[in-house]
Amino acid sequence: MIRIPSTIVCNVLGLTLLLAGCGQSGKSDQNGQDKPLVIGATMLSMQNEFIVNVNDEMAKKAEESGVEFISVDAERSALKQIEQVESFIAQKVDAIIMNPCEVEASSPAVTKALAAHIPIINVNSATSAKPTAFVGSDDVESGRIAMNYIAKRLNGKGNVVMMHGYMGQAAQIQREQGAREVLKQFPGLKLIAHQTGEWDRAKSMALMENWIQSYGSDINAVFAQNDEMGMGAVKALTSAGLKNKVIVVSIDAIPDALQAVKNGTLDATIFQNAEQQGAKAIETAIKIIKGQPYDKETLVPFELVTKENVGQYIK
Amino acid sequence: MKNVLTSYFNQSKGTVRVPKRGIGQYGIFIAFIVLCVLLAIVTPKFLTVSNLTNIVTQVSINALLAFGVTFVIITGGIDLSIGSMVAVTGVVAALFAHPDSYPVIVPVLAGLLAGLALGALNGFVITRTKVPPFIVTLGTMTIGRGLALILSKGRPISNLSDSFNFIGGGQVLGIPSPIIILIIAFIGCSVLLKKTVMGRYMYAVGGNEQAAEASGIQLNKVKMMVYTLCGGLAALAGILLTSRITTGQPNAGIGFELDAIAAAIIGGTSTSGGTGTITGTLIGALLIGVISNGLDLLNVTSYYQQVVMGVIIIGAVVLDSLSQTNKR
Repeated sequence: MIRIPSTIVCNVLGLTLLLAGCGQSGKSDQNGQDKPLVIGATMLSMQNEFIVNVNDEMAKKAEESGVEFISVDAERSALKQIEQVESFIAQKVDAIIMNPCEVEASSPAVTKALAAHIPIINVNSATSAKPTAFVGSDDVESGRIAMNYIAKRLNGKGNVVMMHGYMGQAAQIQREQGAREVLKQFPGLKLIAHQTGEWDRAKSMALMENWIQSYGSDINAVFAQNDEMGMGAVKALTSAGLKNKVIVVSIDAIPDALQAVKNGTLDATIFQNAEQQGAKAIETAIKIIKGQPYDKETLVPFELVTKENVGQYIK
Repeated sequence: MKNVLTSYFNQSKGTVRVPKRGIGQYGIFIAFIVLCVLLAIVTPKFLTVSNLTNIVTQVSINALLAFGVTFVIITGGIDLSIGSMVAVTGVVAALFAHPDSYPVIVPVLAGLLAGLALGALNGFVITRTKVPPFIVTLGTMTIGRGLALILSKGRPISNLSDSFNFIGGGQVLGIPSPIIILIIAFIGCSVLLKKTVMGRYMYAVGGNEQAAEASGIQLNKVKMMVYTLCGGLAALAGILLTSRITTGQPNAGIGFELDAIAAAIIGGTSTSGGTGTITGTLIGALLIGVISNGLDLLNVTSYYQQVVMGVIIIGAVVLDSLSQTNKR
């Protein structure tokens, strides 16, 4: 029996569908008014609360606008994400929204969609290939806001530790970049240790416990690149009786973190507007499909949340 | 039945590996001591009571998982679903652990029952279908993760009662409660494996399945028991983790199965079944904990930690296989 490797079958099939998609994309634009518009979205991970929120907001906005919305979970795999975009191309959706897994590895998905003449909008994070439009926030800015807050609270002098997300992910790289820009401006602020907590609460709690053993009361502030890790650090510091001496700042403003800011255990979090990102992504997609003018880049600003203004963020 | 087994052991000591400390286990114990001494010299912060307490507390979750998987590996099986079980059981416990809802025993029992049920499901499918445990537990690993996400709707469950948070975050007589739970589990598991008939059956099944069956041991019963027990210990770890981080996290425990299996193997449990001890596994888990703690204290990035861990796992298996060849 001759076995044809399944990858070849997939490629041939994919190519055929891709070509078919190319031929028909012009027609479907004109007939678009009769059938409801279809937008396909591939999300980084539906196990991440922030991403789930963006997704829910997109679904809500799509329903309001009478657009059919198909959402799939890439489960943090760039390969899966590319396959999902290929399948959207085969289904001839009117627009694709991608929440990229990786800067480089998810790029082929953008190229493929554009080659098939289907507009693709990146939401929340970037790829190196340029999509039709981008909706999201500038992660570098969030790192700057966090470190600036620390600098202000410590009057520009003290020892800081930093918890990274998964090394090499866009958010980790950019949040670190922003934080380091600010550190350069304050020679009195010293980064005494930095290490990955893998975005995870339990891992970062153990990391913080080890740092407490190592540096003890020499630590003046913690910058955690997301709230999960920030909460882990708060837990470890509280157990060690050090929380009132150490400032902890993290990013995302998940409900847990907002509650902690309200209770005064977490000093500040940085609100990344999931609702705005989701809604603007759908709005941009619809504008592109209908041939209306649209912004190539929509930046939703980050907002610093402290005890003073936390009330307006808690639902 | 007991007589049959004893005579079986007596006649066939040459072919069946009876519970004995292999070279591997002594080797790793020495490696552990050497590592501790080195770290104590390199960083004065290592050998302090607070840091040592810290290490054992951090190790407790991995050790509980590793005890369970030691039973499974001794019988010649494997369980890849324990990391997911940590998530499911943690989420289940968290669902019942809101303040003013139930007394603390309810979330604990709910979590334990969930773990025992999933473990029993593993055991049931493995004994009834002859599908290899690797495949079955790979399946339940995915099912478990899915269930955790369904039950939690993909979001962490927070705002748990103080009494529940005490399980992993509290102290009794100055000793952190995870350490107390670890000690109790260690004694229980050691007694089960060393002093009971069931423990001896586990070695017999893993040493030579056909011979064990011929001598009247009910294979299915033993296997059901080990997978259920493994699920129960995973649930205990899940409850401890949830309580420690005061949130039920659907994505908790990813990759935990690998750390637990590593602890068992480093501690001298042979992947071919039939050998292994709970003490060895505890040392394996402590070794992993000490490496992670020590390298954090020295501010070494986690990339190197992973390389070091891999080298130690391979080293442990090499030591194990050397000790096997020496015996033959």
